[in-house]
Amino acid sequence: MPSAFKHALFIVLPLIAVFAVLPSFYQNHLLLFNFVIFLILAQGVNIIYGFTGYLPFGYVGFFGAGAYGFAILVMHYQAPAPLAVLAGGVIGVALGLLLTPLLRLSGAYFAIANLAASLAVLHFVANPALENITRGPYGVSLTGTFNPTLAYNAALVVLTLTLGAVVYLKNSRFGLALQAVREDAVSASMAGVDVVWMRVIAWLASALVAGLAGGVYAWYVSVFYPDNVFSGDFSIFAIVFALFGGVATITGPIVGVIILYGIYNLIGFTTPQYFQLIYGLLIMGLVLFLPAGLVSLATRRGWHVP
Amino acid sequence: MCPDSAPILNVTKLAKRFGGFYALDGLSFHVASGEILGLVGPNGSGKTTAINVISGLYAPDGGEVVLDGVSIGGVASHKLVHRGINRTFQVPKPFMSLTVRENIEVALAYGRAAVAPPDMADLLDEYRLAEVADRPAADLNNAQQKMLDLVRALATRPRLLLLDELAAGLNPAELDWIAERIKALAQTGIAIIVVEHLMGFIEHITDRVIVMNAGKEIFEGKLAVAVQVPQVIEVFLGGEHAA
Amino acid sequence: MLIYALVAGVLFGLYFSLVGIGLNLVFGVMRIVNLAHGDILMLGAFVAFGVVALAGIDPLFAVPLAFVLFVLVGFLLYWVLVPRLQGSVNPEMLSIILFFGLSQVIEAVTTIFFGTSERSIQSRMLGTVFSTIRIKLFGGKPGASGPIQIFGQGFPAAWVIASITSLIAIALVYLYLYRTRLGTLTRAVMSRRDEALATGIDVDRISAAAFGIGLGLAAVAGVFAPFMFGSVTPAFGADATVTSFAIVVLGSLGNPLGTALGGVVYGVCYMLVQTYLSSWADLLPYVLLIFILLLRPSGLLGRRVRVA
Repeated sequence: MPSAFKHALFIVLPLIAVFAVLPSFYQNHLLLFNFVIFLILAQGVNIIYGFTGYLPFGYVGFFGAGAYGFAILVMHYQAPAPLAVLAGGVIGVALGLLLTPLLRLSGAYFAIANLAASLAVLHFVANPALENITRGPYGVSLTGTFNPTLAYNAALVVLTLTLGAVVYLKNSRFGLALQAVREDAVSASMAGVDVVWMRVIAWLASALVAGLAGGVYAWYVSVFYPDNVFSGDFSIFAIVFALFGGVATITGPIVGVIILYGIYNLIGFTTPQYFQLIYGLLIMGLVLFLPAGLVSLATRRGWHVP
Repeated sequence: MCPDSAPILNVTKLAKRFGGFYALDGLSFHVASGEILGLVGPNGSGKTTAINVISGLYAPDGGEVVLDGVSIGGVASHKLVHRGINRTFQVPKPFMSLTVRENIEVALAYGRAAVAPPDMADLLDEYRLAEVADRPAADLNNAQQKMLDLVRALATRPRLLLLDELAAGLNPAELDWIAERIKALAQTGIAIIVVEHLMGFIEHITDRVIVMNAGKEIFEGKLAVAVQVPQVIEVFLGGEHAA
Repeated sequence: MLIYALVAGVLFGLYFSLVGIGLNLVFGVMRIVNLAHGDILMLGAFVAFGVVALAGIDPLFAVPLAFVLFVLVGFLLYWVLVPRLQGSVNPEMLSIILFFGLSQVIEAVTTIFFGTSERSIQSRMLGTVFSTIRIKLFGGKPGASGPIQIFGQGFPAAWVIASITSLIAIALVYLYLYRTRLGTLTRAVMSRRDEALATGIDVDRISAAAFGIGLGLAAVAGVFAPFMFGSVTPAFGADATVTSFAIVVLGSLGNPLGTALGGVVYGVCYMLVQTYLSSWADLLPYVLLIFILLLRPSGLLGRRVRVA
């Protein structure tokens, strides 16, 4: 049995199945939905950071752009929700294309520029001068398309696509070549790999994933403000979840989301500053003591982690 | 070895500038299929820069690099790999977190070897990497990383191979062994350019050497002749780290 | 209007230089991205609040206090965090995440102790020490110092005091880097870290010093933040960090003195946009940052930087 098939059968399928049936047993639908969104975003970060080494510190830019792409199609063109979700993906890719020059930067320069880009998009969308198009800082309300059940299922579809992409990267020569580029771009080009092209593809794929996620998020919540969908927490959480589990694997980001987002919800929202304190300490501990993620506990022992 | 055949690579008046400093200043030479050409000269004479320009890492600031009659100056590295040029690095930089096998797999898959790509198992055997095939490249010692770098290059079936100090740091037994391997590669028709500080090694494997100084050629011919030319002697004695 | 914007831009710009210079020193020497930089600024502002609230004296006295305090904090943090970080596979990238975590901790702890309300200091408090001295020496009436006249326009005294303090601080950084032995070694580490290690320079000691001074300078900048930005909350840090990055990148990352130029250019742009295009002023730092990174990644004064 080829390993890609095995990964799809034993990792992707059970995960999707569990999240498909959970709403019938568990009351907190929004929480389940957020789990799915973070699974998508963490895997999106995995694609760009895990496989190419670019740290997308402003990853939320694509997410927010996708949410607003959805909103604009629904508000101004009365588009059906599924079409508007696709438009969110397209907007994500378009923003990704616009930002491809950032890939010329490396290390911290890229991370900071990406962060700045996401904030620029936020301030652009939230500008009162664009009230006619985006409703500016006053937020959007899309009651016409409100349908949490459908939106949840759409999120599962996006998650399936995302996991499919990661399974492909983990099992293909394309994914191997991407990792080669991450390790050393010069050596990779001397192995015949078109470094620029590979990076752009991975970048756009991760932008697409976040744009689609933004679209389904807008569909699900239906009322939101720029500060909600462009909140830096999305970027940070997705990065930390992916890193905590271990990037460049299929299972790492999944484990990261389940454990850390689970803890997040156990701590609760009632005292945000205590939560922030614990979270900050957790992030610091992660970098200092487990920089390669939970999976490194296994790989250090020589076990193979898919 | 067929020194009479038409050159596969022709370099004419090549120039490369870094700021105001000319690393290459009108370098010209050629190399034919099956030939082993040595590039020697003191540190900073432009040997590695020449290799970097020919392999597409830097675009030249002047002059021409012609492969098989086609000018290739400024063409991206991966495209040159597809046209049959490859190289090793002074400090090898394999894909550290990937296994040795995966390292080679990338080059086999993306090298677009003109002829059928070589066999993975053969490469691992021939370059003494079979035992470490499933270990991450980071676990390899320096000599093994150099061999992996060479195998990465060979996996793309190059017709022109540039070896940048491949022998540096190898022990005498390994030196003899790699010298024979390089000669065997030339015998299959690959044109090989060798940059090396070890004169004995150069003498042993090359057909011809170019002595470089300050980005220019100051001598061309047999190494044994070169060491009697006053200008060459002066350059080497004047150079700080001449080997 | 234009003259006002330009002068205000230069005054703010000098202050912005001080805001960014510590961040640049830390990145230049250690290749560490201190995402908690803005939070140190915020803490500097709280030192000023403390000095005013507890002692009721001129917040200028908070300047030396904040500097010394945060140099020590810097040493401590350095020894706790940095050696472990440098030992990892990709310190530059992980430093972003590590210091983001630190910034969360700082923001959380400050919120727990001081709440989320906006705090400010009456601007006439700043510089009272000067009028006290003036009265002692020359007599005259006590009273709030009015706006200061430059080119026939009135500017708040706090802006002028902040920009003069910034100039002094930048001059001291210059003297440190170019006139002291430790500073010379610091520049050596900035230009070639691996070679400096190989030549036996005590890179750890130099890095710790740079880290301490970097944090100290940020805290000093923070003392003036309530006057320059009106008020400060514990959440002020995140925005301040991004602004600092825009300034630093503008001047050139890894060249602390370039930051002085970057700050002034940023300040003038900021004031011009505020004056003529105020609804888009929020966008400025981000757009400027991206354009500079793409068009001239080495900054206005920079050497080559690493490009992928």
